[in-house]
Amino acid sequence: MAGPVEAARIRVVATLTDVADLTRNVGGDLVEVQSLATGIEDTHGVPMKPGFIPLLNRADLLVLVGFGCEHAFLPALLEASKNPRIQYGKPAYVDCSRGISPLEVPRSTDHSEGDVHPYGNPHYLLDPVLAKVAVQNICNALVALAPEHQVEFLRHRDDYLARLDAKIIGWQEAMKPLQGAQFVSYHEHWPYFAARFGMKYSGTIELKPGIDPTPRHIEQMIAAMKAEHVPIVVREPQFPEKVPSLIAKQTGATLVKLPIMPGGVPHTETYLDMMDYIVRALVGAVPK
Amino acid sequence: MKIRELSGLCPVLCLSAFVLQAQAQVQETDQIGQLQKQLKQTQERFERQQREMKEEFERVIRTQQAQIDSLTKQITHAPAPAATGASPIQPVPATAVTPEEVKELSGKVDQVVEAQKKIRPGEFNPSIGLVGETVFSYRTRGPGQTGADRAGGFDVHQRSLELNLAASVDPFAKAYVVVNAAADSATGEATLGVEEAAFQTTSLPGNLELKAGRFFGEFGRLGYIHDHELPFVNRPLALDQYLGGESQSDGLQLNWLLPIPHFVSLTLGVGDHFGDPKNNPGDRRAFTELNFWGRLSTYLELTPDWQIEAGISGLWNPKTEDRGGAQGQPDGGTLTERERRVAGLDLKVSYVPLRDNQFRSLTWGTELLCSDNRYLFDPNGSLAPSHPSPGLDGDEFSGRIGSFGVYSYVTYKWSRQWSGGFLFDWVQNAQDHHDETFAYSPYLTLALSHWNQVRLQYTHTGHNPVSGLRSDDAIYLQWAWIIGSHSHGWQQR
Repeated sequence: MAGPVEAARIRVVATLTDVADLTRNVGGDLVEVQSLATGIEDTHGVPMKPGFIPLLNRADLLVLVGFGCEHAFLPALLEASKNPRIQYGKPAYVDCSRGISPLEVPRSTDHSEGDVHPYGNPHYLLDPVLAKVAVQNICNALVALAPEHQVEFLRHRDDYLARLDAKIIGWQEAMKPLQGAQFVSYHEHWPYFAARFGMKYSGTIELKPGIDPTPRHIEQMIAAMKAEHVPIVVREPQFPEKVPSLIAKQTGATLVKLPIMPGGVPHTETYLDMMDYIVRALVGAVPK
Repeated sequence: MKIRELSGLCPVLCLSAFVLQAQAQVQETDQIGQLQKQLKQTQERFERQQREMKEEFERVIRTQQAQIDSLTKQITHAPAPAATGASPIQPVPATAVTPEEVKELSGKVDQVVEAQKKIRPGEFNPSIGLVGETVFSYRTRGPGQTGADRAGGFDVHQRSLELNLAASVDPFAKAYVVVNAAADSATGEATLGVEEAAFQTTSLPGNLELKAGRFFGEFGRLGYIHDHELPFVNRPLALDQYLGGESQSDGLQLNWLLPIPHFVSLTLGVGDHFGDPKNNPGDRRAFTELNFWGRLSTYLELTPDWQIEAGISGLWNPKTEDRGGAQGQPDGGTLTERERRVAGLDLKVSYVPLRDNQFRSLTWGTELLCSDNRYLFDPNGSLAPSHPSPGLDGDEFSGRIGSFGVYSYVTYKWSRQWSGGFLFDWVQNAQDHHDETFAYSPYLTLALSHWNQVRLQYTHTGHNPVSGLRSDDAIYLQWAWIIGSHSHGWQQR
């Protein structure tokens, strides 16, 4: 049975586990955060379960990644939630991408380019510096919702940002050997990460976003990787291993399985753990 | 003397006049030259000023770009500022800006501008999508032997060309329209019809949502799904038999999400018809001639990957009026529907693995429908339209006919593109439960992308002897495509 403190908690529903973890860190004990995703899903493929509807119906705050990341499941869930507080444009609809300059904004939203994101690539949270903007957006929303707890929220935010800053310095130091290193991935998850850590993103195994690779595309990718001596193939665990494994084998590159949100692989339950894992895995993939 | 003097002065005067005229012309020429000179000077001054302004602008832009870049660097290397009471940002010393950095910044600005451009031209316009669906088929028998509505042998059917429009009306409601052009089965000509045109509230209190207009009423699982979104080619026989195809109605529907931690949804609706055929209201429609329907649905999560969704539905039209008219029977009599009652039980069990549900899933869906209509029996067929003087002649009596129908399907998806399944249909005729039809249909679907899908299906349809129809086999190739906006609503999940 819920005690008085627990009953007074702010009920937050986060779409994905990265923004859920950031919200927990800013909100502390004052918030009760539930994530629609568990972490192992594809960010664009969270199943629309009816069980999500009562959660959204009672939510005080909805925290999402934004840039259309949740376009495949969130609009329908919001419609069914019958919760006017968290609908698009309302103060409790917290779009963490606010204030972030998107990368890869398509010049055309024609479907000949696949399942493109009209507002740009939404995977900015794989850049830990941009995660700080998301933290600030979450903090602003919590302060606006519960100004009586402003001091606590600001303290939590500062504590978390201090930890994150210290981690960023460490990650940047650790990633120095990978400056200029090329890599490919299954889906276009990594442009922000590559830009932050000085890696060179050489393409995706998918033909286009949401479109499986054709044999011709795979052949061309293998040829290009051999010519460019691309040393790393990143495979996100949501996608089949067969093709990335084949490409890695054919090109001699190292296959690295990387999560795209906390919980994607074991021992990555928090955002910091996930980034630690990603950096460790990539550093370990490059021959000394 | 004076005349002589004057005559002597004339040439002088003429000469003077000529000289003066020449001087005036010279002066005029000088003025034009001066004007031209002034114009040239003005042009040169203007060009110089323009050049200086351009250089100044370029200098300002370079300076601002350098400042922006420095600030960007500062932001990306510093903790995010506090929401309130933040320390003022210290001035940043000017730093040298490389052309690469300017190029990178310009690229970022271009992308933001590009993103904004996408929104502005379409502001306030509804989202627009178009769905096309063509069915190529071969059936071993024609409609005279099977009761089908399409020709036997080879057939190409442009089943639908569906225009979808949707937008918010205001902060309190949204609206959507589905206009469908379908090829007439007899003539092949496209006939345009409004399938749906409904207004839906978005902010009613008490977890309520009201829908009004023409829409597919909520009954069972697949009754309100458009043809191209079905998991197989054709609508299940039981839905055709008891609902009349899609559950279209002109009416009002209220949905209530129960305010409990568990998902329970209750829908109640009222409308002038439900599916096909429609009631004929005559001069005046009584309250009892309206259709009333409802559905209660819930959900159970067995594991994170396995779920069950279940629902019960009911439809009641207390007094049907000329719905389909007097239907001739094999024994020469007629049946006229007087009351329509349909109940349904639906169940969907899904395996949707969280990790790779775009590549693997399993769905088992079943729906059981029960009809208990009341009819006016007319043994001697005096009500038949073909009767010389149609009308009641005293032998008519009222009675009920109970009948059942069921369909069940399994769809397995083994890659992002490929899925396959099996559909089983069994239904009794609502007017004669001894008349039974069954069908089975294996199907294979290739989704080239989310917007381009091809499906191959084989269907064997069998009838019992009471039906007077003959069994047949059919092969279908369905091609469905989507352009423009397309999003799956909650009902289509």
